[in-house]
Amino acid sequence: MKKSNPYLLFFAFSCCLLLCATAFSRSYDDIIESDEIVIAVYSDFQPFSYIENEKEKGIDVDLAHAIAKKLGVKLRLRWMTADENVDDDLRNNLWKGHFLNRTVADLMLRVPYDKAYSLLRDDIGELVHQHVHMFAPFHTESWKIIFNSKKIESVETMAVFQYHDIGVEVDSIPQFYLTSAFQGRMRDRAKQYPTIIEAINAMTESKVDAVMGLSSQISHYQGELAKDEYPLATNAFPMIGRQQWDIGMAVKADYRQLGYAVGDIVDNMVKTGAMHAIFAKYNATYKIPDLYKTAE
Amino acid sequence: MIKTTKTKALSLSMMVSFALTGMANANVTDKDILNDQATTDDVVSYGLGLKGQRYSPLSKINTETVKDMRPVWAFSLGGEKQRGQESQPVIKDGVMYITGSYSRVFAIDARTGEELWQYDARLPDGIMPCCDVINRGVALYGNLVIFGTLDAKLVALNKDTGKVVWKKKVEDYKAGYSITAAPIIVKGKVITGVAGGEFGIVGKVRAYDAKNGKIVWERPTVEGHMGYIWKNGKKTDNGISGGKPGQTWPGDLWKSGGAAPWNGGTYDADVDLLFFGTGNPAPWNSHLRPGDNYFSSSRLAIDPDTGKIVWHFQTTPHDGWDFDGVNELVSFDYKQNGKTVKAAATADRNGFMYVLNRENGDFIRGFPFVDKISWASGLDKKGRPLYIESNRPGDPADSKDGKKGKMIEATPSFLGGKNWMPIAYSKDTELFYVPSNEWSMDIWNEPTAYKKGSAYLGAGFTIKAINDDYIGVLRAMDPKTGKEVWRYKNYSPLWAGVLATAGDLVFTGNPEGYLLGLNAKTGEVEYKFNTGSGVVGSPVTWEMDGEQYVSVLSGWGGAVPLWGGDVAKRIKHLNQGGSVWTFKLPK
Repeated sequence: MKKSNPYLLFFAFSCCLLLCATAFSRSYDDIIESDEIVIAVYSDFQPFSYIENEKEKGIDVDLAHAIAKKLGVKLRLRWMTADENVDDDLRNNLWKGHFLNRTVADLMLRVPYDKAYSLLRDDIGELVHQHVHMFAPFHTESWKIIFNSKKIESVETMAVFQYHDIGVEVDSIPQFYLTSAFQGRMRDRAKQYPTIIEAINAMTESKVDAVMGLSSQISHYQGELAKDEYPLATNAFPMIGRQQWDIGMAVKADYRQLGYAVGDIVDNMVKTGAMHAIFAKYNATYKIPDLYKTAE
Repeated sequence: MIKTTKTKALSLSMMVSFALTGMANANVTDKDILNDQATTDDVVSYGLGLKGQRYSPLSKINTETVKDMRPVWAFSLGGEKQRGQESQPVIKDGVMYITGSYSRVFAIDARTGEELWQYDARLPDGIMPCCDVINRGVALYGNLVIFGTLDAKLVALNKDTGKVVWKKKVEDYKAGYSITAAPIIVKGKVITGVAGGEFGIVGKVRAYDAKNGKIVWERPTVEGHMGYIWKNGKKTDNGISGGKPGQTWPGDLWKSGGAAPWNGGTYDADVDLLFFGTGNPAPWNSHLRPGDNYFSSSRLAIDPDTGKIVWHFQTTPHDGWDFDGVNELVSFDYKQNGKTVKAAATADRNGFMYVLNRENGDFIRGFPFVDKISWASGLDKKGRPLYIESNRPGDPADSKDGKKGKMIEATPSFLGGKNWMPIAYSKDTELFYVPSNEWSMDIWNEPTAYKKGSAYLGAGFTIKAINDDYIGVLRAMDPKTGKEVWRYKNYSPLWAGVLATAGDLVFTGNPEGYLLGLNAKTGEVEYKFNTGSGVVGSPVTWEMDGEQYVSVLSGWGGAVPLWGGDVAKRIKHLNQGGSVWTFKLPK
């Protein structure tokens, strides 16, 4: 009873290795050796990552392909269902796995690149994001308004939205902003939609006069509309808190080597304009992160 | 010789066929369900009767004899799928039906603990249940075993084979819906709510024909949404909940008001009403939605035939603390000045216990059942909380400079003075037995937050124990005076249901793994047995072959281990498990 069969143990152990190979984040060497990298992207998130006519598409999907190609390995995408916040997504997809299915990716895209965020501490002083390393900002995101020029002459300031209905995505900063800023003076004009595309559709059906959302999303959807009829506003967003923020990626904290390799690839793509080209393909406004500007 | 053998063989086959016909004929009827609280040889509904009193007239196991009670069998739910087991067993004709984590159903021989069949729902990828993969139990009707799944379906299984008879999609799991509560059967209809804390959902209570799963009516729990009734298969408008939109909500926030009735409901035949509690309103930040936000954090009385809201009582108007109003409303009668009062009581997440007139929803009285309430100074004559405004979590507009918002300490925490775990009422002692927790939370606006890569305004919080030596408190509360008669303190938070019996006993479990039997009059622990993993299920009792049995699920999990903070320290050593334990007295 006490004796265990060493062959059996070895067999069990190697089975586990085989099975576990894709269940945990892996080191750079393991990825190269296995000839495959698993990259996590959000599902149903146009223009970043989505499936159209059974084809995987989007800015993040193209970026994932470019990274895999430069590493010389095959790409497997892990489609993420967004949880309540990015903290949850990092846990579910990168360092721990969701409790329903304990598997994770090697690399996760669309993670904020923000010193305050990566150094956030919890109530007992521990680093909240100690399990992950966030790096390689590849674009800068901000808020943007698109409007119907037949209904609104111009959007100089947010004040017009005391008089014109504006569509926003539920549970987003634009919704919080419109329902709370300026003592709630725009509250009754804010119309909420489950997704930004439904808000855009409402605008083209004249149900709302404008839509506020992410700059890259709004510009992407503008590409499908007549630009003169639906121009982008250039107004400021006073009191919105964060005016712009950088988007990067993350690996598990133990696998810095992978981070450096991917970081070099992204750095090169940003500097050669390859990144800008991906955004242009999807008609999304591209803004280069400050990190690269200072390096120029 | 030959003759005798034949007779023996005949009698044996007769016995077998008797047993078989006995089983086949014993379909569960509406009458069985309505009488469930009075019949001792079965448990055919969640709550041991639709009123949800969780009281059994059995008394063979009592304060004198319980010390001899011992396990007769244990059943393992098996696999690696050992998460929280919050199920309440039901028993019919010597067969026990339970649900397990990950939307599984088991039929077990109640005498031996042998498995008869198992059903595993095939769950899709990408489901996101908020608070563990739990399920709270099945409903029985006819020859069907009916339960709700994590991907928001109702499934009816044949009770003898475990094969699917019908299956209905209640909501789209992709939109964030799921079902974890046990459905109830009223007048041949399966009544179920939905879970889904995610922003953007609208809570609904629905009734389906129990025989075939056809929808009968649908009632939204947020003001402004149209309800429907199906007549001869045709969907017909059935009145907007609350009359019209926008009365208690600003802008169009009612369109995604939340208020999910995720903890199931109860029913009382005397007044012929269903009682469902509703979750908190969305968005989480109350400053964005001035108004009472009907019918969030409320109890709704619904006509079981039409799905119309007959009355409502809101426990936390304009909720800002995530005080879901989902806790069960338990019907009971009491005498006052020689008159019988048709009452109902509920112990809310917000720390107050309410006694209502169940005929019309009028407030009779309310009182705290936890030691400390920081957000309200009391209740007014109509039961509306007297808010302490300084204790409302801060306005995000005040933290626009990108700094942390004002931090407040709110008691109870959002996990509640009492959470989902059902209370019990004993008609012998005329007391309610309330599994409660003493904890508070720090809560603040968190501007350094992101959602799907977008900047986001989150809320940060941390749950803290109030006392060093205990969080959980099982309380005996007198609904006529609001006085606490006794208390039992537990180091970890209590998360299991309660059962009261005519043997003057109160059964419950704790995360430390014990099934506890307490004296209903004094709160003294008369019995304890460690089941090997934390108990977060609801115990039941029934009679079989002239003996009284007690059964409870063991398997630590649920919402508590998913939240960190100070509380995590108390529970991190607790081991997972997954089993049913069944007890009786020795012969």
